[in-house]
Amino acid sequence: MAKTPIDWSPANWPRLLYRFLTSFKLATVILILMTVVTLLGTLGQVEHGLHSAKEKYFHSFFFTDKIFGIPVFLPGGLLLMLVLFTNMTLGALVKVRKRWKGAGLLISHFGMLMLLAGGFITWAFSTDGYMALYPGMTTNRVESYREWQLEVIPLSKEGVAEKAWIYPSELLDQIQSDEQRIIKTEALPFDVVINGYSRNATPIPVTAPMAASVTGREIDGYKLSPQKTSKEAEQNLPGCFVEFRPKDGTTPVEAILWAGSYRFDPKEKPMPFTFTVGDQLYGALLIKKSWTVPFELRLDEFVFERHPGVSMARNYESRVTRIEASEPDKALEIKMNEPMRHAGYTFFQESFGPSGSQPGDEMFSQFAVANNPADQWPLWALIINGIGLGIHFVIMLVNFTTRSRNKQAHAAIS
Amino acid sequence: MNSFSKILPALAAVVLLTPCLEAREAPKSALQNYVPWEDETVHTFENLLVQQDGRVKPLYTVARFTLLQFSGKSKVSFQTQDGETHSIHYAAWLLDVLFRGQIAKDLPVFVVDDTAAVVQIGVSPMMPDGTTPKSKRDRYSYNELISGRAKLAELSAQYAEKEEQHKKSEKDPQFELDRVEGMILTLGRNISSFEFLVGQFGFARQGEMLVNENILPPEMIELAKRLDTIEMLDKMPEMTLEQLVQTVRQQPGATEEERMFSGALRLFFFHANSARGLNLFPPQKTDDEVWVSGGDALLAGLASKEVRPWAKEQLGGIRTLVKAQKEGEPAFLAALKTFSASQRSIAESRGEGTYSEMEISLYRGKWFSYSLMCFIFAFIVMAFSWLTPGSKVGRTLILVASLIALVGLIFDIYGITLRSIIRQRPPITNLYDTVLFITGVAVLLGLIIEYFTRVGIGTLVAVFSGVMGMFLAMKYEAKEATDTITQLVAVLDTNFWLATHVTIINIGYAAGLVSAIIGIIYLTGRFFGMLRGKTNKDFNQVLTRMNYGVICFCLFFSLVGTVLGGIWANYSWGRFWGWDPKENGALMICLWTLVILHGRMGGMIREIGIHMNSLVLAIIVTFSWWGVNNLGVGLHSYGFTEGVWGSLYTSWMVLGVFMLMGVAVWLQERKKKSTAKDKSLPEESVPA
Amino acid sequence: MMLRHFIRYVAATTFFLSVSGCGDRESTAGLVERELSSSEREFKLAESSTERFRYQTRHAAGGDSSVPGSGGGGGPKLVFTTPEGWTDKGASMMRDINFSFGEKGEGECYVARLPGAGGGLLANVNRWCSQMGAEALTEEQVAALPVKPLFGQPARFVTVDGTYSPGMGTTDTFANYRLMGLILASDAGAVFVKMTGPKELVTKNEAAFDQFTQSIDVNTN
Repeated sequence: MAKTPIDWSPANWPRLLYRFLTSFKLATVILILMTVVTLLGTLGQVEHGLHSAKEKYFHSFFFTDKIFGIPVFLPGGLLLMLVLFTNMTLGALVKVRKRWKGAGLLISHFGMLMLLAGGFITWAFSTDGYMALYPGMTTNRVESYREWQLEVIPLSKEGVAEKAWIYPSELLDQIQSDEQRIIKTEALPFDVVINGYSRNATPIPVTAPMAASVTGREIDGYKLSPQKTSKEAEQNLPGCFVEFRPKDGTTPVEAILWAGSYRFDPKEKPMPFTFTVGDQLYGALLIKKSWTVPFELRLDEFVFERHPGVSMARNYESRVTRIEASEPDKALEIKMNEPMRHAGYTFFQESFGPSGSQPGDEMFSQFAVANNPADQWPLWALIINGIGLGIHFVIMLVNFTTRSRNKQAHAAIS
Repeated sequence: MNSFSKILPALAAVVLLTPCLEAREAPKSALQNYVPWEDETVHTFENLLVQQDGRVKPLYTVARFTLLQFSGKSKVSFQTQDGETHSIHYAAWLLDVLFRGQIAKDLPVFVVDDTAAVVQIGVSPMMPDGTTPKSKRDRYSYNELISGRAKLAELSAQYAEKEEQHKKSEKDPQFELDRVEGMILTLGRNISSFEFLVGQFGFARQGEMLVNENILPPEMIELAKRLDTIEMLDKMPEMTLEQLVQTVRQQPGATEEERMFSGALRLFFFHANSARGLNLFPPQKTDDEVWVSGGDALLAGLASKEVRPWAKEQLGGIRTLVKAQKEGEPAFLAALKTFSASQRSIAESRGEGTYSEMEISLYRGKWFSYSLMCFIFAFIVMAFSWLTPGSKVGRTLILVASLIALVGLIFDIYGITLRSIIRQRPPITNLYDTVLFITGVAVLLGLIIEYFTRVGIGTLVAVFSGVMGMFLAMKYEAKEATDTITQLVAVLDTNFWLATHVTIINIGYAAGLVSAIIGIIYLTGRFFGMLRGKTNKDFNQVLTRMNYGVICFCLFFSLVGTVLGGIWANYSWGRFWGWDPKENGALMICLWTLVILHGRMGGMIREIGIHMNSLVLAIIVTFSWWGVNNLGVGLHSYGFTEGVWGSLYTSWMVLGVFMLMGVAVWLQERKKKSTAKDKSLPEESVPA
Repeated sequence: MMLRHFIRYVAATTFFLSVSGCGDRESTAGLVERELSSSEREFKLAESSTERFRYQTRHAAGGDSSVPGSGGGGGPKLVFTTPEGWTDKGASMMRDINFSFGEKGEGECYVARLPGAGGGLLANVNRWCSQMGAEALTEEQVAALPVKPLFGQPARFVTVDGTYSPGMGTTDTFANYRLMGLILASDAGAVFVKMTGPKELVTKNEAAFDQFTQSIDVNTN
């Protein structure tokens, strides 16, 4: 352990950096920090709810938090995992001395790397949403749990539309409650102006006593009262003020849009705010972001069972038919622990509704729809890891017992 | 090692004494005398089937957990006025409650932790003789509390509301119940459950023995004596159930006849309402899953003419029992047997109640109590071995202790196996199961370590975790006082993942805790060794290698268990990792074992470091085992337990004390090393 | 030492990233066109903002919609807005909605529904009168009672003063009380909204009562 002075000359920097990045010390420090961040992120869920705690602690580079009242600046999970990945690749795979005794550890580190890489791919590239259907309904559309977008839709007199113009959720979500944004477009005879957007809000009739405390404008007998965002991000219902300015200079139309006009039940039809420009009827509303899967799904039957005499659900499952242009229709079952995997998408039996349904009521079935390129990586990683650790511990155990025996033998002789 | 020999026998004595503290003098009862039931009657009774919490189980189980909830004990002990002391089993007690209500009302079963609660409802905390005061924590009979019944109802309703607000307001402290308020709320709930049970068969008694006469106005009590509730079914006018309910709600008409009718109806509904809860009758239709209570049968018979004969038959069965009981015990026994046989044959044809006898044998066998006793006994034997450490006698004693611990382990495993068979599930489905399982694994690990090392440490670990674990299991069961064989929510309804992920992750927990026990042994040894100026280097090295091995074991199982959990999650609801609190708990265990292993590889920690960190590991394990369930968020909040945080903080504080010992040793070692370095002596060797 | 350098470096980079992220906010991007898939082409043309915002009541009530099967009573669930200062005590066996208000919670307001006409308007009005120890009303008097909206239908509005004896298992009486209630009786079923309490308190809460009764709606979800 004789200490040699460190060569700090710039020529030596790459070597120093390599030494730093491959060190056990770095690994240990990262692991300790990771433990601390995990703990804070777990406790943080009590205060912030799962979704925002995840974003703050684990999907971040840095965050600050108060520990016993003292603000602390800490690296976030994303950064830690990136550094850990580097450290493990260089330290445990590249730099490590290759010898038989270390074979197990080498393999298991490779498994861990795969796990981390899979996590990164999932974080960066996977999508998840849901599909809710009543028996008899067919759709290929998957909705986001918590992302809302603004849509402007040319409507027929009967309320039917072919296409919509959307203002995407990524842009909409950035608008502050006191910010004005003007959206110009060639395709429509008017400009769309958003005068403030709240991530969670509720419209209140001006006749209600509570309305007195709500500042902001009144449109058509309503005010928009911003609410604290919910811990459960899915429960937020955003709202905004919009204005449609016809390009021909006629009087603009104003409205409050609120996510509650969309729908809470797959049977309902969304209720847009409607206005006429020229001779065309238009609708505008906040709608959940959605995308399509390359096949349609029809719910044929939803089976729901409770434990006898108690309200606890025992089992629920869906009988569905998958409809695809290139293939004959296929009847399938989707149930708890038995998802449907097809064309890169996985459909899970997630939940059911409407809430408060009694036995015998017509119920809808809700599927979680995930698309994750690294879907099966953790399984492979676990197998590799398990094999690696298994090999390693067998080597260790053999070592340990032979040594114990030797020691006992040694003790017996002396 | 020597250093323990003086402290630990004393500790063992404390452990032994604790259960004895409970066994005080039996409280006096106002009863003149008590005639116990014949064993055969009790056995026939306890084998009756009942459906509760979605499961068909023996009445025995209901009796056990009801009494545990009321009294915190599974026995009723009391002294009658004739000077006799009685101790009756919970099944016999329930028999009294259902069939000899007058006696049951004088049995001291309601435990109150502080007389202040009793005083608040206006009852003076006195023995039935009226002169001797009750102890601060004592048991009361229903009749002793009756004078405060109205006040109790009022207060407990008030506190229930407060508790509800506490929950709704996400634990706003202004709605938190204080200790006495909590006791009153519990007492209020227990008293009203008791009334439900006593009044359960009121429909078959013609007015006799209504729980609390004040519930009904006087003219109704007269009416109740004359009316046969079951026969009323036939005499009801042709009205729908809704219409009848409406009639009851309206003001009765002017004529005597109308008032009689209204009164009779109210009485009928009163009985139907009281007879809910015990679902004793298998449903009429075979494809129906829900068993029926007396109340359900009354209402069903009222609502439908088709069901009426069936309902009358079921209710008549109870009336036969009630009547036979008055004729004497032989007649009652015969009636019970008939009732039981018919119930059982229907249940069997439905494929229900198959394991009810095994369930009774599980509780009657007291396997977990025997297991605890074995561990305590082994602990004492172990303690004696330290009086002559290293000698032949000492080694023999350790061997004996190991064997006794093995017997304790076998009891534990046997009990776990019975529980698994009864519910046809892998061993772990709820929090109580984890206690039994983790204890078993920890004991097994300790014994395996002993087999390989033969220095007595493994046995100590096994015995210590056995005592702690089984004691915890006992306390937890008594505290929760609800059936621990529970049904599963839909997500968990998969034997494959329960058997793999859940089992493996709990083995990881067990290893983490074993590691901490070894750490405690090491640190205590080093600390007292330091005080006495001695260190046993070889012994310490063995401990360190042992702990290192256990930590590796812990890592292996925690890691595999965690990733398996992720794969299950991905398989079932589409995401591998969701940063759910329980997932995070498991992750933290993996991370901390990795910290230990890498820290040691990198030379950042050595002997003391490993053991100190194993205590941190235990803090993390207990946090993710008990703590995260009680954060009130996440998917795994399956076992919510009040008051867990207090126990957790205490145990962490105890671990903290041991860590302080470690710090003291470490500081001293550093000092020594710096002086040693001057003399250029070789460093302490690091075990691999 | 080196770790600190590294952290500073990463901190600087991420700061740069977040600054450039801010730039997006000022830019104005246009609308993107999309085809609607077959299952989402139909919309409901709402008559008014009230219709578009009909879920406002449910949202404001803040009911825990994630717990199925909670609450008592039969029939479809009710949604409503809780007036300020009132405490929602949840549903019970006979009551769909249950409130208390006033300093000691002495004021009470509940909603009960009965299938059928519930014994008729006259009988029920007089049942309330008798609970207040007041004279029974004649058919003509009942027919002349004022009307307030309940579920969008005209409901009879009753105000009775007197000594309140609730019955229902208690013999307690409360002097100088006021009962204020709405009765909606039709063949489809009867709905009762009843508010009782000390006269002064009830008078003070009349506005809240109106606001509450107008907010009640059937949860069609």
